[in-house]
Amino acid sequence: MSHPGKLIVIEGPDHVGRTLHARLLSARLKANGIATHTIGLARSELMGPLVKSHTADIHQLNWRTRSLLYATDLHDQIKHEVEPLLNAGFVVIADRYTLTPRIREQVRGGDGKWISALYSDIPEPDAVVVLHAGPRRLLNRIMFGERLEALNHFEAGMDLALSTSITSSFLQYQKMLRQQFQDAGKKIGATLIPTRLTVEQVHDKIWDSVNPVVEGMLQPISEN
Amino acid sequence: MSKKGILVAVEGMDGSGKSTQAKLLYHWLRAKGLPVYHTEWNSSKIVKEATKIGKNTRRLLPITFHMIHAADFADRWAQQIEPVLEIGGIVICDRYKYTAMARDGSRDVPQGVIEATYSFAREPDLTLYFDVPVDISFDRIAKGRPKLKFYEAGMDMAWTPDPFESYRIFQGKVSEIYAGLVESDRIVRLDAQGTVAEVQSRVREVFDNHIDLSSIEIIDHSDRLAQNLSESDIDWLTYSGGGDGE
Repeated sequence: MSHPGKLIVIEGPDHVGRTLHARLLSARLKANGIATHTIGLARSELMGPLVKSHTADIHQLNWRTRSLLYATDLHDQIKHEVEPLLNAGFVVIADRYTLTPRIREQVRGGDGKWISALYSDIPEPDAVVVLHAGPRRLLNRIMFGERLEALNHFEAGMDLALSTSITSSFLQYQKMLRQQFQDAGKKIGATLIPTRLTVEQVHDKIWDSVNPVVEGMLQPISEN
Repeated sequence: MSKKGILVAVEGMDGSGKSTQAKLLYHWLRAKGLPVYHTEWNSSKIVKEATKIGKNTRRLLPITFHMIHAADFADRWAQQIEPVLEIGGIVICDRYKYTAMARDGSRDVPQGVIEATYSFAREPDLTLYFDVPVDISFDRIAKGRPKLKFYEAGMDMAWTPDPFESYRIFQGKVSEIYAGLVESDRIVRLDAQGTVAEVQSRVREVFDNHIDLSSIEIIDHSDRLAQNLSESDIDWLTYSGGGDGE
């Protein structure tokens, strides 16, 4: 499937800075004359409201059911937004794509191959960036920024019964996730970026990996 | 259980100013970049409703009052206190098990029973007892209020039909139990009279004398600001990169 647009994927766990960097990348591309559109998990018109209003219930479901709900959500966005916009020459930024929905089920014993098959016929990313950070760093950000209450049981992997304490569970769970993200990222040739760096430094690394893909489309700001 | 983190509790009568001071202590430690958490008595969602029913219908007896408060505390212990201690953080508890000892003890629940119920809650590294004369705290709470709540005034104990007199009796008993805890060095008396600033400087002094913060890891600057950074923006016209990463 050939199209004039580009698909950029940014993956990584919550609190890693994914959404911030998706926004900065989008802003920079727009400043350089490129139309962008951002998609993400649970943002489809079809599934978004349901997922957001029933998050806790969805976390209780069997991994297969949950995978299908998230696959429905992503396919809805692909059909209605991603494909038409790629054909129109947009750069589509996916604030999470297929990696997160697969990895977080894999660590719960889900069948990664089966989940991947749900996404077999979708636009291939032109660049994938995986943001990562140490579990303790993520926890510090939550604790200092939002409050411990902001830490949800699923995100802490409490359903895996790693520990009865939400913080210890979070640290162990995020360690597993990080490993899987890195392994999967390397396998698909993603750029792995640690977010212990400054916002600008992380952005630069993202820009470096995206730049080759969009180079021909850029219309620099400075040329009046 | 290995002893991790730092646990600080504040105790005292209603109207002693301890909550104000506990929050200031929290903000001070947070300003130092430390992983610190603040939690209050009777605040967990799970038990709140039952407590409310019990109070409204006046069903609560000393022993059920004791148990339901303990349930509330156990929930906070598991959800908030222990998880923060476990990762080496600082927890500031606005009221701790000594409140149960003082209040339930005033309602004649045996101290042995209270100690046993709360045996899972370790002795804090420091418990500050905000000491003000009973008359002063009484005035702060009772003055200007048309009436006191049934349980708040200890009316369930039927010491006297007058709520204000009952409250005074109740607070007298509470104060006596606190005094005993000071005597046995389980809590540290702090003169809570004076301006908020004066008391806070005393709080900090006692804190520094009792608590060694050297083992607590300061949270990285960028992680402390993570929430603000998530809103950050870049001016693309003048942007020349963020410098060398590594």
